[in-house]
Amino acid sequence: MSASIADENENTERLDDASKNEKMFTLKKWNAVAMWSWDVECDTCAICRVQVMDACLRCQAESKKDSYGKQDCVVVWGECNHSFHYCCMSLWVKQNNRCPLCQQEWSIQRMGK
Amino acid sequence: MITLSQRLKKQQDDRSAAVNRISIRDKLLIKESQEMSQLLPNNCSVFYENENDLSKFILTVKPTEGYWEGGTFKFAINVTEEYNMVPPTVKCLTRLWHPNITEVGEVCLSLLRQHSMDGLGWSPIRRLNDVVWGLHALFTDLLNFDDPLNIEASDMYRNSKEEFRMKVNEYVMLYAKE
Ligand SMILES: [Zn+2]
Ligand SMILES: [Zn+2]
Ligand SMILES: [Zn+2]
Repeated sequence: MSASIADENENTERLDDASKNEKMFTLKKWNAVAMWSWDVECDTCAICRVQVMDACLRCQAESKKDSYGKQDCVVVWGECNHSFHYCCMSLWVKQNNRCPLCQQEWSIQRMGK
Repeated sequence: MITLSQRLKKQQDDRSAAVNRISIRDKLLIKESQEMSQLLPNNCSVFYENENDLSKFILTVKPTEGYWEGGTFKFAINVTEEYNMVPPTVKCLTRLWHPNITEVGEVCLSLLRQHSMDGLGWSPIRRLNDVVWGLHALFTDLLNFDDPLNIEASDMYRNSKEEFRMKVNEYVMLYAKE
């Protein structure tokens, strides 16, 4: 895997996010399980800046208006291993079929939660 | 035959889509405006015409060194409803002599290009803060003017730095003094 400037930027941002989150709660016990969930929680969609495990900004706004019409907001991974909300990414690829983080041509590797 | 109810339904859908887009932009703007003001370059300031509308503001740049030193340059920045899928629109309100800005205020900054294949154009991971620093960088001497909008200014810059400096100064005295 080759490292690019874009990758480095992304990593710094994640570290920033992680340090912000740290202040919000304290961990009584530091074990492997907590480490794992930590990583997942800090994976933020670079388009709407909401964690990918939560619904995207758009879906959150919609479900506020109609709490029963909540759509399933899934995560999409590209061949480059970057992940975004499917909702966010599908809007962007209409304009430019490249990953916003690494500029590689976008192709979907997998989708899910 | 399209029925009236179908048409009404469509209108409603269109309207709710528009409302929704605005709210996404506004949600992003709440965070980004704050970030922008916290990280503003020392020689820049931001002014909102309407305090309740974060989508329209004036950025003022007062270069403290370089060719444009001593001038006050204003940019109107408009964050459209489709943000952050599209970049903000930027217009320079101050007339100036600059390879990347025309005399009528069009700005050439790679970051603000909507469709670009080189990876330097707009991308939704960019923020208002990046736009401000990009505009700020237009006044530093470190900038290279490879992709000029004002060809005459760019040629002059390449051929005679002294002539370029004088012309920039002349414009600053005429149009960019507070
Ligand atoms: Zn998202
Ligand atoms: Zn969504
Ligand atoms: Zn990528």
